[in-house]
Amino acid sequence: MAVTPPDSARYLALYVAEAAEHLEALGRDVVRFEQGATVELVDSMFRHAHSLKGMAATMALEGTEALAHRLEDLLERLRADVHRADATAADVVLQAVDVLFTQVRAAAEGRPLPDAGPVVGRLAALTASLSPGEGPSGAAPGEAQPAPPPAASSLGPEAPTPGRVAVRFHVSPGASQPAVRGFLAYKRLSTLGAVVGLEPALDELKAGRLPPRGIRLELETSAPEAAIVRTLRTVAGVELEAIGPAAAPAPAVATSAGPERVAPPTIRVRAELMDAFLEHAGELLLATARVRALSRGVPEAQRPPIDEALDRLHLLVKGLHDEVMRARMTPVTLITDRLPRAARDIARLRGRDVELVVSGDDVELDRALVDALAEPMMHLLRNAIDHGVEPAEHRRAAGKPPRGRVTVAVSRQRDRVVLEVRDDGRGIDVERLKALVSARGLASPEALRAMSEREALLLVCLPGLSTAADVTQVSGRGVGMDAVKRAVEHVGGTLELESRVGEGTTVRLSMPLTVAVVGLLLVEVAGETYGLPIANVCGVVEVSPGAPAPGQGAPLVAWGQGVVPVHELATLLELPSSQTPAKGSPFVVVEGERARLALAVDRLLGQHEVVLKALARPLDLVPGLAGVTILGDGQPVFILDVARLTPT
Amino acid sequence: MTAKPKTVLVVDDSVFMRDIIKDIFGAGGFSVIGEAGNGVEAVERYKELKPDLVTMDLVMPDRSGIEATREILKADTSALVVMCSAHGQETMVMEAIEAGAADFIVKPPRAEEVLAVVRKVLGVA
Repeated sequence: MAVTPPDSARYLALYVAEAAEHLEALGRDVVRFEQGATVELVDSMFRHAHSLKGMAATMALEGTEALAHRLEDLLERLRADVHRADATAADVVLQAVDVLFTQVRAAAEGRPLPDAGPVVGRLAALTASLSPGEGPSGAAPGEAQPAPPPAASSLGPEAPTPGRVAVRFHVSPGASQPAVRGFLAYKRLSTLGAVVGLEPALDELKAGRLPPRGIRLELETSAPEAAIVRTLRTVAGVELEAIGPAAAPAPAVATSAGPERVAPPTIRVRAELMDAFLEHAGELLLATARVRALSRGVPEAQRPPIDEALDRLHLLVKGLHDEVMRARMTPVTLITDRLPRAARDIARLRGRDVELVVSGDDVELDRALVDALAEPMMHLLRNAIDHGVEPAEHRRAAGKPPRGRVTVAVSRQRDRVVLEVRDDGRGIDVERLKALVSARGLASPEALRAMSEREALLLVCLPGLSTAADVTQVSGRGVGMDAVKRAVEHVGGTLELESRVGEGTTVRLSMPLTVAVVGLLLVEVAGETYGLPIANVCGVVEVSPGAPAPGQGAPLVAWGQGVVPVHELATLLELPSSQTPAKGSPFVVVEGERARLALAVDRLLGQHEVVLKALARPLDLVPGLAGVTILGDGQPVFILDVARLTPT
Repeated sequence: MTAKPKTVLVVDDSVFMRDIIKDIFGAGGFSVIGEAGNGVEAVERYKELKPDLVTMDLVMPDRSGIEATREILKADTSALVVMCSAHGQETMVMEAIEAGAADFIVKPPRAEEVLAVVRKVLGVA
């Protein structure tokens, strides 16, 4: 059934999104395939090509349909004989994937599909050369598959054909947090196999909407029923009601009609709609705070019911906001999944031998951050391979293993996500970098001399510098570092560099988990109110600092097991200090860029949760400001970028 | 039959809360062999003591309970970590479960509930 043109516009966005997903997954498979082809892998590739073909046919995009069909032919042939899969096959498949991508993009923009002639020819030629009889194994497509090579056997022991088991259980009455209990049971059962049916749906379950008839879960598993019962017994507060075989699984060919294949239902929502939800939920939070501020004017006797209603309202609005934030959380795999393919392409193009190691891709972060980081991460990867890792012969001469290693590590640290791109390449020569900066007149020799190594490394992010071709040779870091730094800082992140000549370079991006709501500690300094992000605040001290040794730098205040240096926040902000320095005034101990420091403030005004508003020009250019917010009483408050308040 | 009591590491940034939880375990026949007041310490103490079970506060300075749980499970995939949550932290508990936490208890802790949960988790019901 082909969609007739007037209708097709309705489906186009969905087609483009899903087709891109299939192609990205296919690209990832090819990279793995190059490292060792297995039947499972080729199967997976085949499925993606097959799905795309069906979708393209439905959209009446004949060019894409035909190319996907050719690709499917080749993969079918390869599946019958994976041992004949080689780098050429991988190349041809990737080429087809790239052309398919351009076709999908063209369809998205309503342009005619680009010609796929050459790649169709290559696919056909390769498929023909792999015909039965041409190779050592003559298995025809669709026949019994050869056993996977040993490499694949680590994927798991041969499991007996899985069956479907239906389990019904309920959360014991009186259990605390029944939603979490139910979720825990679901989670535990899901370790035994694939959950193919769940009532209520996962979202409902997590939201605590548990039906009185209990939770019904269908599991595709090879585990015996007794094992399921045992597993459920390890979860306190849930009771098994019934267990038994479920209806037979639908045959694989009928997946489109399989009514049971509805695991946790999901819907696609346009990204801008999600942004609007967040905006509104944020405004609701602010509006609630405003009402609370106004209610303070109400006579004491009438306050309790108002406060109670406000508490309830706040709880609801906060809950809504949290849910919206949760819906926006996106796995960082959206970025990291693209890296292996990109690394391969860059390495091939530049004649480098590079191994890419990606870790920690189970981290989730706000959709807006994922979008903002995709391009910078690609840039950093390109730099690491192209400018960092040396050609194999140079590496050998330097006594390094000929194969370079680039590591991308994502980790969650408190309220932040840290993305690290590390290479074992040539590193940055700080002295030569300084010389270059000086030669270009981008900084004075005095300033350069006074720079710490850490500051000097950041010179590669100077806008006038990073586009210069000769930086590549000098620094092992090339183009676009200024753009990376800007992009990261725009979403509230920081960029740090570490490098050693001959040993490699590490770029570390530290990002907030979300872009919208931040907890603030409000402080008063020189008559003004400022917000310090709670994420950076370690604690508050209200004692006089130790007497400073005259002329010996900052006074110290005791903190934990040690001491931290005290700085007047007013001085750091270049405000007139309203008090005699630090006489019994409170200190806020914060996590500075390098070390902790105690900020002397005039007054602590308490903790607030606020919706962060991006700074408009020219305020976004002011260093030390992270954003602005409007308090409940309508007062705007600047939020300080604590990490960068570090005194010079 | 006198089995050796199961050992527990109690992690919470509040000494008060740790005491309450310790008393519950003491009365239930468990042996609390260590305490930690933040996530970093929790991971260190875990590696050093290898307890049978950890109770882990969610919100703490120096690495959250979820982070610490991840770290502990990375070091020892068979570690049993029970989260200590408060009302309103359902989402975080679910995140901890996703990260591999074995179960959870809710503050203020009720002795019978805490013991029922940890006995199930340890298989000593």
